Amino acid sequence: MATDKELADFLKSVEKRAWKRAVYAVRDEDAALDIVQDAMIRLSEKYVDRPAAELPLLFQRIVSNATMDWFRRQKVRNQVVRNFSEFESAAGDGDFDILETLESLGSSLESESAAESVSRAQILQIIDDEVARLPARQREAFLLRYWEELDVAETAASMGCSEGSVKTHCSRAVHALAKALKAKGIAP
Amino acid sequence: MSTLENNYRSPDHEALEARFARGIVARLSEHADHIAPDVAERLRFAREKAVEAARRVRAAGQAQGVGVTGEGALVAGFSRSRWWLRIASALPLAALVAGLLLIQDWQNRSQVSVAAEVDAALLGDDLPINAYRDPGFVEYLKAPPADE
Repeated sequence: MATDKELADFLKSVEKRAWKRAVYAVRDEDAALDIVQDAMIRLSEKYVDRPAAELPLLFQRIVSNATMDWFRRQKVRNQVVRNFSEFESAAGDGDFDILETLESLGSSLESESAAESVSRAQILQIIDDEVARLPARQREAFLLRYWEELDVAETAASMGCSEGSVKTHCSRAVHALAKALKAKGIAP
Repeated sequence: MSTLENNYRSPDHEALEARFARGIVARLSEHADHIAPDVAERLRFAREKAVEAARRVRAAGQAQGVGVTGEGALVAGFSRSRWWLRIASALPLAALVAGLLLIQDWQNRSQVSVAAEVDAALLGDDLPINAYRDPGFVEYLKAPPADE
């Protein structure tokens, strides 16, 4: 059973990321705060007897469910369908070399050389915007897998899909981000 | 097949994707750290409410445990009196059943007694009992007494 301190520390460590995830999904900061608060309360009330190690996966799932609940409450089913459906963009890549782009973008991100031409804050905002533009399922998979550092199986469990789907969503999200960032000139 | 799809199956490509993704999320984390103070404050408030809720749930669980334990102690300490209470509550029903059985027995005895008296009267009478098998005598008995 997680202690109060363990619970508080855990929530503190994930609250900002959870809020950002919710903002990406609902595009409303206040609603995102409500979702995170709702998720925190649900976690505390229903899973207080679980060990601290189980909290991350439980919380991610609760946030996802709370987000879906918000959409249901808002009765914007069309928006849900649009946001949570796949927008495939594999076609029309032409000569776009993803390997070369990823390699160069990865280097730029790690070495921060892009900050020489664009201010750091602007880069952060552009990345934030591009992540927000990802199709919901891709963004969810990408954020859970890499930001929340869940493994593929945990991400699949949290999203309620197969591990293969998680890999596909993540790969497509990375490709989409790489292409978008390159188009914005965030590259050496 | 496009370059993208060719690369999609490359093992190195996955490592490259992961490296790129880690770079992206590092920037996202950096950006998320600079959230507005009012948002941070509301998140802190939400967190405190959640911890308080957890504390409440734990306390309620413990109180329930204490309640159960207390009831157990009550049963253990006053088990004899509780059994007496149960016996006492069953007494009226037992008395009712016993009364009904007594009434039935009394009625049986009464019927047997009446039958015995009739039999004794018949056997002790001067008139032989076979006389009652005579239809003429039976008709005589049924007939209204003649006016003297």
